[in-house]
Amino acid sequence: MKTLRMKGKNVEDAVTAAVQVLGTVRDKVKFSVISEGKSGVLGVIGVEEAEVEVVLSEGLEEDTKQVLQEILDKMSFVAMVEAKRGEESIELNIKGEDMGRIIGKEGVTLRSLEIIVSSVMGRVSGERVRVNIDADGYKEKRKKALERLAKEVSEEVFQTGKEKAMPFMTPADRRLVHIYLQENLLVTTFSRGEGKNRVLIVAPRD
Amino acid sequence: MKELVEYMAKALVDKPEQVMVKETVGETVTLLEITTAPDDVGKVIGREGRIANSIRAITNAAAAKQNKRVSVEILSDDKGGNHGGKAEQQFS
Repeated sequence: MKTLRMKGKNVEDAVTAAVQVLGTVRDKVKFSVISEGKSGVLGVIGVEEAEVEVVLSEGLEEDTKQVLQEILDKMSFVAMVEAKRGEESIELNIKGEDMGRIIGKEGVTLRSLEIIVSSVMGRVSGERVRVNIDADGYKEKRKKALERLAKEVSEEVFQTGKEKAMPFMTPADRRLVHIYLQENLLVTTFSRGEGKNRVLIVAPRD
Repeated sequence: MKELVEYMAKALVDKPEQVMVKETVGETVTLLEITTAPDDVGKVIGREGRIANSIRAITNAAAAKQNKRVSVEILSDDKGGNHGGKAEQQFS
């Protein structure tokens, strides 16, 4: 993603100039107006130039990767970001030192990075961008651990015939467990409660 | 720390040129205060403070690496408005 600010006698002029500097064509950029400018009285008194910010996308994956890389650099972490496009999301993977801190307690820093990066990309691209960020295989390990727990709970529910609530989980973790148990023939799952009290219930299938 | 907060705040809003971050280094905690254009305050706070809390968590992770503590506040001059910027829960 390349960003450029440009002034001109009006918005149109400023955009045209920026497009030339970026060496691209008009259709490929998005711009926002910083100042409309003023033509002034008789075009002499009180003339103010227009200013625009022009953004040239280098593809959603590349742009998203650059935003995360920039944040990590400014956090003074020595880390590198890899990006690929998932089915409905951009998948980013962080490699480097100090992964424990980048992950945070129960993944809080990773989740925060996801929220910031996806908000920034949403604003820049004008569409909703789902971003998944992993570091040092943390998410994969967590997924395995959750699936193991879900399997244990489902076996217990089948044996006792009584529903059971899973420990508190984030919406993303609940989604993972719902999907994992979807094909289980012995139990069914649903969520109950609101906000911080929302839990996933595993119940016998009948 | 200031540069990090400034980068995130500017990337989140529509009027980045109006973002200001003031850094006050205290003995134990460094205070970082974000000011934005009035229309942009909501963009750095987010629904139920999600964005503000994320900025805090990221800044704290960076600060912890240097054995420091930070407090990030979002200032709103919106009189009577309740964006919750000041009332947000603090990480330490």
